[in-house]
Amino acid sequence: MHLIADLSCPAMAALSEEVLLVVKRVRQRKQDGTLYLMAERIAWGPEGKDRFTVSHLYADIRQKISPDGKAKIQLQLVLHTGESTNFHFSNESTALRDRDAAKDLLQQLLPKFKKRANKELEEKNRMLQEDPVLFQLYKDLVVSQVISAEEFWANRLSLNNVDHSASNNKQEVGISAAFLADIRPQTDGCNGLRYNLTSDIIESIFRTYPAVKQKYAENVPHNLTEKEFWTRFFQSHYFHRDRISTGLQDIFSECAKQDEKGLRSMVVQGVKNPLVDLLSLEDKTLDEGYGSNSMAPSTSSANKTVKENSNSAIIKRFNHHSAMVLAAGNIGLSPRGPAVKIQEAIEYEDLHMENGKKTVALNLKKSDRYSHGPVPLLPQQYTTSQDIINSVNCIQQEIANYKPCLTQVMSSSTASSAIAALSPGGLLMQAGSQQAINQMVPSDVQGELKHLYTAAGELLRHFWSCFPVNTPFLEEKVVKMKSNLERFQMTKLRPFQEKIQRQYLSTNLTGHLEDMFQMAYNKFHAWQTRQMLRKT
Amino acid sequence: MVMASEDEVSLLVIVVDVNPIWWGQQANREPQFTLSKCLDAVMVMGNSHLVMTRNNKLAIIASHCQESHFLYPFKLWKSGDGHGDDNPSTSGDGKYELLSVANDIMAEEIKILMSRTEVKGNQTDTLLAGSLAKALCYIHRVTKELEAGQEIKSRILVIKAADDCALQYMNFMNVIFAAQKQSILIDACVLDSDSGLLQQACDITGGLYLMIPQKIALAQYLLWVFLPDSDQRSQLVLPPPVHVDYRAACFCHRNLIEIGYVCSVCLSIFCNFSPICTTCETAFKIPLPQMVKAKKKKLKPST
Repeated sequence: MHLIADLSCPAMAALSEEVLLVVKRVRQRKQDGTLYLMAERIAWGPEGKDRFTVSHLYADIRQKISPDGKAKIQLQLVLHTGESTNFHFSNESTALRDRDAAKDLLQQLLPKFKKRANKELEEKNRMLQEDPVLFQLYKDLVVSQVISAEEFWANRLSLNNVDHSASNNKQEVGISAAFLADIRPQTDGCNGLRYNLTSDIIESIFRTYPAVKQKYAENVPHNLTEKEFWTRFFQSHYFHRDRISTGLQDIFSECAKQDEKGLRSMVVQGVKNPLVDLLSLEDKTLDEGYGSNSMAPSTSSANKTVKENSNSAIIKRFNHHSAMVLAAGNIGLSPRGPAVKIQEAIEYEDLHMENGKKTVALNLKKSDRYSHGPVPLLPQQYTTSQDIINSVNCIQQEIANYKPCLTQVMSSSTASSAIAALSPGGLLMQAGSQQAINQMVPSDVQGELKHLYTAAGELLRHFWSCFPVNTPFLEEKVVKMKSNLERFQMTKLRPFQEKIQRQYLSTNLTGHLEDMFQMAYNKFHAWQTRQMLRKT
Repeated sequence: MVMASEDEVSLLVIVVDVNPIWWGQQANREPQFTLSKCLDAVMVMGNSHLVMTRNNKLAIIASHCQESHFLYPFKLWKSGDGHGDDNPSTSGDGKYELLSVANDIMAEEIKILMSRTEVKGNQTDTLLAGSLAKALCYIHRVTKELEAGQEIKSRILVIKAADDCALQYMNFMNVIFAAQKQSILIDACVLDSDSGLLQQACDITGGLYLMIPQKIALAQYLLWVFLPDSDQRSQLVLPPPVHVDYRAACFCHRNLIEIGYVCSVCLSIFCNFSPICTTCETAFKIPLPQMVKAKKKKLKPST
């Protein structure tokens, strides 16, 4: 039954969810009422009233228990928080059926929501584990109660939801066609067989044979344990070669019938992909009767020998198995038409002609501007032409009489003064005497400073994101953030400053941090005064 | 310290600025340090480099305002040939013949170069970019002529006297980036005034830039700072790198600016905003800031 909740009713106005199941005559805490199962929650309202007294989201429900064999037909819901709610189905005639219907529906819906609730927590844990900086920040800010956990996660989780969709498209592992054969049974020593089942094999079985998955969901853990289920599976003739349906009370005999139906429908559908359709390659001859005999020889006629029958049974099973494996692997892929498939098979993207985009030509009017360097700041020396002539003559004379005199290139005093200038502390070595700060400050102090910066940055980011202050929520937040900043400065920054002072480090490591805080305070005061002026 | 392997060749190309106008004026300014003294110092440097290891090679280029001329090695030599028939002007003092030959050739070539100088008024700048390009080509040629299994490490040492020429800017930058691509260091020893182009060259290629306070001690500075090659420099305490001014120059005034406007079409830089780029004539639409309406102040009751 699907009902859309009545939106005009004020109690239900908040709900725009689809109602999936309505069960009347359900008692809760000794009160008669009606049980509603909706798309995201389960709710119960007392008789005669139209509002819900009990309403639980599926995400909050941890477990449902339906004790059998008691006089009362009940359904119990256990929440994550530990509390439990009991529903008693009191309609004499249909109680059991109602309860089972509700139970089945819950069974289908709960798994969907379970994953969602856990995923967020898992995600948060994963993020904290992967990024030690984030973990440190979390410890500094949330554990020491400087900001609340929600604010901390507010920006970060939204970022990750974008990533989530990308990571959800991770590739699925394909199914090996031989997975059933891989479960090689080993003899137990005393006339038994051991089957080694891994979770991969179980997953392959479930994906290939959805009928088995359904049976599993129905029977485990109520009727059978997992071990019993698989034992029965391997014992059943369903699994074995000779699928002779002996009519035994086997939970898997249904599966065999379903498989048979599935195979027949596949045969009827035929092959869609023209590249692998072997039948289309046959010669189209007019058989006996010049085409008037319309019956094709059947491959499953009844007058075959027993041996042929068993052979055909194996072949049928083999084909069916391969078809199921392929189908399971292709889930999610959109079906493509034959023309598209042929197109893909014969074309290579790399070999296509390049269709370049149309570009606009660059039209430079004064391109010589690029080749000029900056104007030198010092004025050029102006030389007269007479100077030039004189200089050239002078040089020519000098060089004409040039004789290298390498033993008197310079005097020893000149050389030693040059060496002095080049030695550490000399004229030319001044700039190198300043030591880098990171060589003077011990590394643990550096690490602490980094943590301070990260934490302060986070707080300041929250603070500055409040501006412009448009809503009352932001007003509250900005006041809270300012007090957070002050508290951080008191509890974290001052002790650090005192510590480095005690270590006689003269460098001003925290000046910049102080400046940032001061700017934030100034902005806050300016905003506050403007607020007060506005109110007067 | 890693010893250079037998097969590693170290090539040093010295580019000497022999601008006759500057050196002629220098002779009047400082008679104790003239071009002759400078050339002596360069020779000492070249000899020292050749003597460090057998595998070291040397080249010296004189950068003139009319041409760039190789002072060493002699152009007409072919590899493997001796200088054979020319009367070897051995100095007779038992010097290693390679060095004495090298010195003689250098002296000879500089005389030839200077004697054919012609006086021209419009060519007063040193052709430094061209000399560097020639140096790069020479290095490239030597690299190609190596024997199999030999490796080569090259660097260029520029000894600069006259001022920068703004017209050579583009060529200079091309040379610098070509050297960087080839892993060739460019060192600079500047005699007179700082050169922004050479500072950039040294910074980009990983070489050393030094402006020396005492010109007469040039040889000492060359031997102390520029003789070790790049592997050895990491083990020595040498003058720290200078701060390089990488500011761009605006296209309209050629001033160095820190913050400017860049046209997104032709990437030309301007110091002032204008709605049309004068280089590529693209018109830009800039949204004007919204006019803020002035709030009417409520009249306060006077107290």
